[in-house]
Amino acid sequence: MFAKRRVAVVGAGLTLFRRNLKETGRELAFEASKMALDSAGLTRKDIDCVTLGTAPDAFDGIHMKGENLSDGAGAYRKPYTRVFVGGGTGVFAPNAGWWHVASGLFDTCLVVAEEKMSSCFPHPQYAFTTIFDPIMSRPIGMNLVWIFAIEMHRYMHVHGIKKEQIALVSVKNKGNAMDHPCAQLPAKITVEDVLNSETLVHPVQRLDISPTSDGAAALVLASEKVAKEITDDPVWIDGVGWGIDSTYWTNRDLYYPKYVECAARMAYKMAGIKNPPKEIDVAEPYDPFDYKELHHMEGLLLCKKGEAPKLTEEGVTQRDGDLPINPSGGLLGVGNPIAAAGLMKVCEIFWQLRGEAGKRQVPGDPRTGVAQAWGDLMQYGSVIVLRS
Amino acid sequence: MSLEKIGDPRDLTHWMGHMETDYSYTYGIAGEKFFKELKENAKIMGTRCKNCNLIYVPPRLFCERCFEKLDTWETVSKRGSVHTYTIANIDIDGSKLKKPIIWAMIKIDNVHGGFVHKLGEVDSKDVEIGMHVEAVFKSRKEREGSMLDIKYFRPAKQKLEKALR
Ligand SMILES: [Zn+2]
Repeated sequence: MFAKRRVAVVGAGLTLFRRNLKETGRELAFEASKMALDSAGLTRKDIDCVTLGTAPDAFDGIHMKGENLSDGAGAYRKPYTRVFVGGGTGVFAPNAGWWHVASGLFDTCLVVAEEKMSSCFPHPQYAFTTIFDPIMSRPIGMNLVWIFAIEMHRYMHVHGIKKEQIALVSVKNKGNAMDHPCAQLPAKITVEDVLNSETLVHPVQRLDISPTSDGAAALVLASEKVAKEITDDPVWIDGVGWGIDSTYWTNRDLYYPKYVECAARMAYKMAGIKNPPKEIDVAEPYDPFDYKELHHMEGLLLCKKGEAPKLTEEGVTQRDGDLPINPSGGLLGVGNPIAAAGLMKVCEIFWQLRGEAGKRQVPGDPRTGVAQAWGDLMQYGSVIVLRS
Repeated sequence: MSLEKIGDPRDLTHWMGHMETDYSYTYGIAGEKFFKELKENAKIMGTRCKNCNLIYVPPRLFCERCFEKLDTWETVSKRGSVHTYTIANIDIDGSKLKKPIIWAMIKIDNVHGGFVHKLGEVDSKDVEIGMHVEAVFKSRKEREGSMLDIKYFRPAKQKLEKALR
């Protein structure tokens, strides 16, 4: 399980996240890739291989999106792979980049994630209707927001969680995003604003949901030898984890994300983390909906099952709290271009551990951070542990 | 509060494109038998894994846990309990539905699994997690071998059947 070679993150890049961007997907990939290379002081020439993460082809509307995006991701005449695990892609892509370098095959890897959801017209929700089993589920008319609503309801029911408690996550994350230069939905809102927003699909209300977005993110990974040559501040990838639960969601209990726990245990074991709440200084769990931040904090073993709402109420998860959660502003505040949103979280942990997060910097010199994404049909978890 | 204005993507210079592809999906080995029973006899079938002591509903050809092929078929209950549910007020494009739809995950009694389906013959404010429901089938003539042969699930009218195993 333990790799011989340590792998460092040495650069990061991120585009604006917006509902409709003029740039094509490959132009977005280029912007993020170039920024990541510049921040590492490297050029495309220095890159041995490229790993691209991007979600269903149906968003951009190109069957074979990986090929289409390859030049923007800097892959021209290089070893190139696209990885795809639904919403989990953004954190899985750097995991895949990690093994390219940890294995000894390559010394540097450019990891790029892109999504241009606005191409799907009139609304990307239409692309989501075809992610379900064509025979068992699609004839019933399932839709993505509805399946989240039933999961949220189950989670609230089992632990007796109130909507007011969940709304606090949306308030916090949209507030944190006020300090993020790329953010799409930064806002000063109140719990009442969330509770008074339109009920779309009970118990999901308008302000419980992240937006659809266009955007891209990138990271540069390097072997220990190369990292030490080019930077005094490498951030090490000390743990990676990923895994999937039953493809039949009727065979799972939706109140708890077991798939996140499996991925987290794999990553923590690799990183030697025995007591996650004590040893992790900052976390970016996947938050396409406000309840998912709480759900995923529990799956990441950052607290006991059902305890995340209480920690949120007590302010523990605020940027200046004992366990800052989503200091970036998360998907709720920064935006949700699926794969790029997951990688944005890894970028945030990188900047936090380097002390480069500016107004978003969590106090106390954080040394260990974790990012997580969630995908496929609600049963895929991907986790990465970074240390400075 | 500075929420982004929702713009029309056609405000940017653009080209309208279209990806048209239709599909013919086979039901598969397990699906064919499941839908035949659903259509002809209004029965819900499952497959049993003897190693794992589970009856899978919907039925499948293999066990995802022990990875053995499954060929023991069982007729299972048409009843189950509401694991969780939601009330949809909007359609897929965000437009308001005339009548809200209740979607529920139903765990079928005494098996491993169940269905996500609509609830009917019940007011949304009377739905509870844990309530017992039963499948309501279309008439024999209307059934065509699809998940829509079950019209919806409604609150169970009689006492629960005895455990099947
Ligand atoms: Zn088995």
